Amino acid sequence: MGIIELNDIYTAYEGGDKPVIRGLSLCVDPGEYVVIGGPNSAGKTTLLESINGLIKITHGSAMVCGLDLRRHGNAVRKKVGYVVQNFYFDPFTPFTVEEVVLMGRYGRLGLLKRPSKEDFEAASKAIQLVGIEDLAHKTIGTLSGGQQQKAMIAHNIAKEPEVMMLDEPFSNLDFHAREYLQGIFKQVVRSGTPILMVSHAFDGLPDIRIHLVVMNKGRIIYDRECDSKDVESIIRKECAVNEDARISH
Amino acid sequence: MLEFLIENNVVCRAVEAMVFASIACSILGVIISRMNLSSIGFTMSHAAFAGAAIGMYLETSAQIAAIFFSMAVAALIGPVSDKAKMAADATLGVLFAMSMAVAIFLISYLQNMGRGLSAGSLLFGNVVSLYREEIYALLLVSAITVIFVLAFYKEISSIMFNMKIAEASGIRVKVVYYILLFIIALSVSLTLNIVGGLLIFVLIVTPASIASQFCFNVKSMFMAAPLVAISVSAFGVWAGFKYTLPIPPLVALLLTGVFAISVILSFKRRINYKKY
Ligand SMILES: Nc1ncnc2c1ncn2[C@@H]1O[C@H](COP(=O)(O)OP(=O)(O)O)[C@@H](O)[C@H]1O
Ligand SMILES: [Mg+2]
Repeated sequence: MGIIELNDIYTAYEGGDKPVIRGLSLCVDPGEYVVIGGPNSAGKTTLLESINGLIKITHGSAMVCGLDLRRHGNAVRKKVGYVVQNFYFDPFTPFTVEEVVLMGRYGRLGLLKRPSKEDFEAASKAIQLVGIEDLAHKTIGTLSGGQQQKAMIAHNIAKEPEVMMLDEPFSNLDFHAREYLQGIFKQVVRSGTPILMVSHAFDGLPDIRIHLVVMNKGRIIYDRECDSKDVESIIRKECAVNEDARISH
Repeated sequence: MLEFLIENNVVCRAVEAMVFASIACSILGVIISRMNLSSIGFTMSHAAFAGAAIGMYLETSAQIAAIFFSMAVAALIGPVSDKAKMAADATLGVLFAMSMAVAIFLISYLQNMGRGLSAGSLLFGNVVSLYREEIYALLLVSAITVIFVLAFYKEISSIMFNMKIAEASGIRVKVVYYILLFIIALSVSLTLNIVGGLLIFVLIVTPASIASQFCFNVKSMFMAAPLVAISVSAFGVWAGFKYTLPIPPLVALLLTGVFAISVILSFKRRINYKKY
């Protein structure tokens, strides 16, 4: 049984005239590295936010981490890591990187519980793993975009999630940082935690089998395993074919 | 409670009232300003004001009516603004205008009927003739505020960092948010007749703004804001009695003065010109 099982789901935004995700089905197994590609506004971000219940599914069934998403959204979010695409922390945000990374543990702790030694250890391990020890005591809003992205990745690694979702995590990172983080993601996948990664940068993909999902207009148009070096060319081809199909109509 | 420090009973109660009101309002203010909820605080304080006017009109307790009315407004604000949509701002504007209209309508009406005098304290506050029960109520609400922040520190700090990231990490953002709205409503309506509807906002916003000039860390902001508020308002009460000045506006002016000084002295605006 897959760790994510979406069956013919629909997702709509309040006030939107039609659903953004339309009849989408997807199954993700433990240890898979899923790359989600596709043109802008294909619905990639919306898909990720449907999987952790930030956006309500209006139709269809979804099981995530063995839980019915429509009934246990909050419990699912405790188990699913999510690095959001767009964030902005103003320079006066009164939190250090260390505190922000520790916050990754807060959801799982539940109400009224204080973080324990174990939580602090998980946070400092995540900071080391991502390689931002030197930033730990800096205020998060004063860092560069790429450094903030690393902090948010550490926040989610500290969470020790059962599924890790990342939405264009490389948009502000140089190629060195991309390759370094891809190495970490390879370890995460090896340990059995699947990764769902929305990205347009495929140069540093780890040399493992990739579960490639290509989206267009709220639907999945390609859903197969492939070699990491073929990811970019397949996405190009699928999107081009689809464009032709649209024009010929 | 502070009789051992201050002999004069009236002064003592005034100090106690201002201190407890300062604790509750300034701590909530730290959360409110970080979350850009200032307009909610503003709306809520005017809702309490309208509630108190309704209480006077009905000849029941102004304070209890203020609590009920501002709770009702909090219940309306919640569902609309918890999604942080554009529309929330407009809704707050409507509720604010409605509250002011209700309050002014009733106060003018009561004045025409020759019952208008007591409304003055709602507008301008009154620290001179306070009942013991009012002090206890303020003590209770400042205790509730402190306990709320300590008990939900994880949740509150995550939400102050970023609502969406807090929700994605599995925090029940809405529950905490609703509790916060109700505590704001409670604090505001109990503080109303002490500092007055027009100045209550000063106690919420200014200490937090002063603290944010010097603190880089949310924990120190939660300590600094109430400390500033307590010392300024205690000083204000003392100076007000000594020189027979109206206390709430005096405290408001003092806080604003401290804010101005803190902006000038702020660490955060200091640029390091040293070459390394
Ligand atoms: N908050 C929102 N309200 C209404 N429509 C939205 C919202 N967010 C995204 N959309 C719409 O959903 C579609 C998919 O967006 P998104 O999932 O962000 O695409 P992608 O991440 O693939 O670029 C877009 O057409 C966009 O306009
Ligand atoms: Mg996107």
